[in-house]
Amino acid sequence: MSITYLEAIREAQAKLLRDDKRVFIYGQDVGGAFGGAFKATKGLAKEFPGRVLNTPISEDAIVGTAIGAAIEGMRPIVEMQFADFSSIALNQILNNAGTHYWRTNMPVPITVRLPSGGTKGSGPFHSQSMESIYAHYPGLIVMTPATVEDAYTMLIEAVAIDDPVVYCEHKYLYYHLKADKLPTEGLPTGRARIAREGRDLTIVSYSAMVHEALAVAEQLAPDGFEIEVVDLRSVKPLDTDTVLASVARTGRLLCVGESFPWGGVTAEVIARVTAEGFHLLDAAPQRVNAKDTPIPYHPNLWSAHRPNAKGIARKARALLRE
Amino acid sequence: MPQVPIIMPQLGESIAEATVVDIKVKPGDEIADDQEIMDVETNKAVMGVTTPCKGKIAQITVQLKETYPVGAVLGYVEASEADAARFAKQAPPPPQREVAEEIPERADQEITPARQKKIAARDGDGARTGGLPVPVVAKGATFMSPRVRARMAELQLTTADLAGIMGTGGGNRVTIKDLENFLQKIENQTAQEASAIRAGVADAMRRSWTRPLSTIGSSVNLEPVLQDRQSRNPKPGPGLYAVRALALALAETPGAAAKLIGSRVVQSNSIDVGIAVEAEDGIMVPVIRAADKTSLADLTAKYKELVDLGRQRRISPDMQAGGVATVSNFGTFGMEWGTPIPLPDQTLLLGLGAGKKIPSWDEEKKQFVPRTEAQITLSFDHRSIDGGGAGRLLKHVIELLESPKKL
Repeated sequence: MSITYLEAIREAQAKLLRDDKRVFIYGQDVGGAFGGAFKATKGLAKEFPGRVLNTPISEDAIVGTAIGAAIEGMRPIVEMQFADFSSIALNQILNNAGTHYWRTNMPVPITVRLPSGGTKGSGPFHSQSMESIYAHYPGLIVMTPATVEDAYTMLIEAVAIDDPVVYCEHKYLYYHLKADKLPTEGLPTGRARIAREGRDLTIVSYSAMVHEALAVAEQLAPDGFEIEVVDLRSVKPLDTDTVLASVARTGRLLCVGESFPWGGVTAEVIARVTAEGFHLLDAAPQRVNAKDTPIPYHPNLWSAHRPNAKGIARKARALLRE
Repeated sequence: MPQVPIIMPQLGESIAEATVVDIKVKPGDEIADDQEIMDVETNKAVMGVTTPCKGKIAQITVQLKETYPVGAVLGYVEASEADAARFAKQAPPPPQREVAEEIPERADQEITPARQKKIAARDGDGARTGGLPVPVVAKGATFMSPRVRARMAELQLTTADLAGIMGTGGGNRVTIKDLENFLQKIENQTAQEASAIRAGVADAMRRSWTRPLSTIGSSVNLEPVLQDRQSRNPKPGPGLYAVRALALALAETPGAAAKLIGSRVVQSNSIDVGIAVEAEDGIMVPVIRAADKTSLADLTAKYKELVDLGRQRRISPDMQAGGVATVSNFGTFGMEWGTPIPLPDQTLLLGLGAGKKIPSWDEEKKQFVPRTEAQITLSFDHRSIDGGGAGRLLKHVIELLESPKKL
């Protein structure tokens, strides 16, 4: 049996609906026979009648309604059709969900699923990665699973967490990534994973870029470079300890993120390592991000815009030469 | 009439610019060819700027006290057609500007409009201002990463300890791996803890060596000192004569022992002179306060006291601090010549070699006569004093040593 990243997300939701009566799924076209734009909820409406609900096309209203349900004791899972559109619900997510517990001592256990990241030909409004925006605000948990296993266990944990969770699932990994079976348990949220061990350079990454980083590690191995790859898993909380421990082993740090270069997760990781682990660095830390322009539509331009193994390898080699 | 520009000349190999300190002409003045019309000052000297040809000053385009690059136009001369034609021919081709040069890698992170991806081309062929060689950046062999620094601090290593490591990093810098490999290698060799005094001397010498040090030397006739010595009780050693001679010489030219700190020349109020005394596994330098005001007899008594204290290891740091110069009598080890290193907080170190009987030409007797002579050296911080100043001081010390009654 083989299971894809997308199927793992569907299976996790099925399990959640099965195990917990408080769980319901709320989003555009998630119900009926359609099962969502990416089929992440396919068949669930039939299996769990009345608990997989179609909504109007208003992200603002969707999240607002889900917050109300969560306050009343439910565990809603909101599906955004594309991460890009969650910007319309920013006020609900940041100002209402993010602050509610801190204002009222009453938690808002909603999970907002964001189909994130670029795929070929998707253009500026269907390719963006929003994790840096949400990670900036207090009161939110931001998950960025990179593996089939994490996609499954982290979504289950997201619903269990009392804080509002922004769950960034990568569209590119939906069909590309496969696992033999679903795990029964995973690392807790807030703990990074050493995806590959090495001693010459640490590449810190998350979501789809973990696989680009692993490809680079593989590519540079014949030259004698042993690259350690850290998969952050959740960008908030950010597992600084695991990153610092890795830099302590290697002395060199390269951060790779698919989002835009200004600020963001890669900058945060470098800021923390330079502040807390300056004495560990044997070379100036570097990062690779997308270009600082809107995401282009044309496939060739998109390939140049998005960080890929080739560009990361070039940066890694330069850093290893420092 | 055509005009010929007056150009800031190339004033030396590494000179990029100069400051106008005097303008000797004004517009309308008749001038000859190669006439000095301006003084400009570089960090090395004041030099004259001359006219390119004869004619009349048309215009002076610079201002006093302002600094201009080599190659800058300082003014114009109204010249004859013939001269103007000559200069037009010699004029260098106009510099090519705006040569597109992609800044590599930069484009990786941020896209900038293509027209900004240029750096201004440097003028000419690189020999002129605006075309100075690119300064060495803070990378390469001297760069120490935070991690290497942290490891060095942990092990109390200094950059001098790393001198033996061939770096494999960018610009041959020492990477953390190079350092760890080096440390592993020395693990296999015998090692023991350095004594406190050894570590202290090492630290002082290492700090001192950060400066441009130089040594000059000459020979000194020791006969007068050896004779004078017999008439005194207790008998001072030649080293003490040297201390006294140096102190008296410095009393006349106290500036010679001044220290350069930043842009200030700092001078001590008292001529305190140190004497290098060998101790077990190191060296101590007790200081004689106001040595210029201490008679040779008192000096001898004080020195004896200090040597006794030294044997009991009771020379405190206070007693070693604050000297303006030091005397090292390396002749006591039989050495004739050396280049001792001044203490880190001092500019001068006077070294005295071993006396040696040599045939010396006697002008009166018209024959060689035996005479005891020693080599005397003066090591100095070249930032503070030059060969001439140091030479005059040493000469004065020699004169005093050769007329010991003055001491």
